This record gives sequence, C-alpha cells and structure tokens, in this order.
Amino acid sequence: MEKKSHTSPLLNLFHDLGGNLAVYGTALGLVILAVPLGLRAGPMYALAAGLLAALSLVTVGRVLRQKDTALRQKELSDEQLLQSQKLASIGELSAGIAHEINNPLAIIRQEAEWLLQLYKKDSPPDAQETQSGLAEIVNQVDRAREITHNLLNFARRSQPVVQGVELNRIILDMTSLVEKAAQQKNINLVKRLAPDLPLIESDAPLLRQVILNLLNNAIQATGKGGTITVVSEAADHRQVMVQVNDTGVGIPKEHLSQIFDPFFTTKPQGKGTGLGLSICHGIIERLGGKIIVTSVEGQGSSFVIRLPQALDRRGR
Amino acid sequence: MAALPKILLVDDEERFRNNLKKMLAAEGFEVAAAGSGAAALEELALKPYDVILLDMRMPGMDGLATLAAIKERHPDPEVIVLTGHASVDAAREIIRLGAVEFLLKPCPLEEVIAKIETAYDRKLARQEKS
Repeated sequence: MEKKSHTSPLLNLFHDLGGNLAVYGTALGLVILAVPLGLRAGPMYALAAGLLAALSLVTVGRVLRQKDTALRQKELSDEQLLQSQKLASIGELSAGIAHEINNPLAIIRQEAEWLLQLYKKDSPPDAQETQSGLAEIVNQVDRAREITHNLLNFARRSQPVVQGVELNRIILDMTSLVEKAAQQKNINLVKRLAPDLPLIESDAPLLRQVILNLLNNAIQATGKGGTITVVSEAADHRQVMVQVNDTGVGIPKEHLSQIFDPFFTTKPQGKGTGLGLSICHGIIERLGGKIIVTSVEGQGSSFVIRLPQALDRRGR
Repeated sequence: MAALPKILLVDDEERFRNNLKKMLAAEGFEVAAAGSGAAALEELALKPYDVILLDMRMPGMDGLATLAAIKERHPDPEVIVLTGHASVDAAREIIRLGAVEFLLKPCPLEEVIAKIETAYDRKLARQEKS
C-alpha cells in the first residue's frame, strides 16, 4: 500500500484501467457525453458537466483502490490466522508428545531407582522383584517406542506407491484378520461389497492400514452380540466409497470434532496413543480422498471413506 | 519436621502409582493411593491427609476438576501437582486453583520428597498461625 502512494496518480490510473475497464469505460463515456451536452446549454454548463464527470472518474478510482486494499488486508489476516493456528497446533502437539513420553519415562525412572536401591542393600535383592522391574522397563520402552514410531509414520510424507488396487480384496483380507476377534465378542461381521467395483489407482499397503485400523476400532467399540457392517460401492464423480459401520458405544457429540486430532483418546493411560485415526485421516487425504465420521452415542458410529478412482498426481 | 506427613497419591497410571507408593513407604511415609479423582475424594472424606500428590490427565474427572473439588471440600491438605503434561497454561490454572507445587514427570524421588517436605512445613506453619 505504502509503495503505491509514491507512484504517480496517472500511472495508478493506467494500472487500474487495465483491471476495471468496464467501470472506467462508463465513467469516461460520461465525460465524453457531458461536455458536448453542456456546450449546447452554454460554456458554464459544459465546464460544470466536465468537472462532475471528472470527479466521478476520480471517485471510481478511489473506491476501486479501497476495495483492493481491503481485499489484500483480508488475505493478509487470513494468512496470519492460518499461521497462528498452525503454531497453536504445533504447541498442542508438542505438549501431547511430551505427556505421552513423560509417563513411560517416569515409570522407567522409578523402576531403575528402585532397582538401584535394592542393590545398595547388603543382601542380594529378591530375584522376582528384580525381574518384575526389568520387565516393566522393557514394557515402558515399548510403549514409548510405539508412540515415536507412530509419530514417524504420521510425519512421513513419502510418495504413495500408486498401483491398480482392488479395494474389495483389501477389505476381505483385513476383515479376515479381525474375524477371530469379532467371533470372540460374538460380533456379527457383515460385508456388503459391490461386485462391480472399479479398480482404483491408490496405495494398497496404506489402505490396508486404514481399513484395519477402522475395523479394530469398531470391534473395540462394539459390545457382545453387536454388528459391524463393511460396505463398498461406486460413488458419484468417479469415486469409490468404503463404509465401516458399527452398533457400538458411539462417540459423544463433544468428541466428534476432535476424533481425528493427534493424541486424542478416551482410552485409559497406556492403552491407546490417540494416533490411529489421525494417521488414517492423513493417509486418506494423501490419497486424494476424504474420511468422515457420523455417530450417535449409544447407537454406533459410521466411518465413510471416499477415494478417487484415478489419483491426481499434481502436487502430491 | 515433627512427624512424617500423611500422603495421598492420585494417579490413573497403576504401575506409577504403586511404584511411588512403595518408594515413599520405604522412606517411612504413610501413603495411600487413589486411581481417580472420584476415588481421591472418597478417600479424603474418610481420613485426613497432609499432602496430596495429584496427576493432571486422568479419564473421567481430570486433575483440574479434582483439584477444584479438593480445595472446596478439604482445604487443609497441601496439593502438589505431579504430571507429565507440560503446558504452561495448565500450570497457571493449577496455581490459581491453589496447588502449591508443580512437578513434571519424570522426576527423581528426591525431588518428590523435597517438595513433600516443603509442602508439609508450609501446612504446619499455616496451622500454627491460625
């Protein structure tokens, strides 16, 4: 803005003319019309008409420039907002990581401190106690490792390996992996797969990960005797759709907006990293698709994935 | 310090809770443990405690809600927050609600004991005044 005020008004006018020919054309037309019309009534009228027309030209220019300024300011503040939102989520993410790692570290420290105490005493420590402490250290390292490894997956932005993928095949493979767990809880696992589903261009291992994750979540959420339904079908706009529906506990309304956030979990300490669904979300976005959730608390949840049949490679 | 303080330990992480209880007991403290905010309030209704070690992130009633409820119903014990969560905003809120100390996990046992002793001294001094 500052810069523009130093350039000549005439240059500004030419600059504006390019972008707003229609508006300026009308104003100029008024100038051209006003002077001969004014001349008929007398030179004073011609002068007044000319002045008025020139004034309208200047006003138009000013209004347009103000509109431009406002637009640029809005763009700038949108950018700043996005930046501050990004910073806030990095802050939140770091606090989440710190918390998830600090807890296993705290236990490791306790176990080691306790073992050191035991070995300071004259008599040799109880073998069972020593073993329990060491086993717990291994446990907690595994817990922390799961978090760091998931984070690495989460952060990895490598190119998906694109090939022709038979989505129904992937669904069948993954449902067979969870069949046993479903049987144990007497859960009815229903597959409604469209037989004529087109091949899609996608990354099979990444899709397997997403579908397995959704199935595991569904099994955890569903009580004995419930039903999990997996649906595949062709959708509009050359897309395919996969649904994982369950009749489980459902997700409370207030949690729905956070369900894909990293580290968001309602599971007890050490039982869930809260990264599963956020990883799924990241994968589906990278594959050019969308994942959405609908849920009614106490009745069940439905995760719907839409994927393009052909992957747009630009910008990926 | 006259006697050793009675400590209530509130943390949903079972192994951490049991370890700390065992370690503090080995140092001669009288320690009880609760796995949730609600359990802590039940325990406080039964018996008086001098110092409470309180975790922040717990399912159900979280640390902040527990702290507020403790301060309202049992203003006597000193509360030390012992958490793995490193948010400065949370720390401010914790101090505002009346916790005296803030400890970040993982921390050495010595540090926990030092904070417990300071908190207990403060409680005794407060009682002498009133």
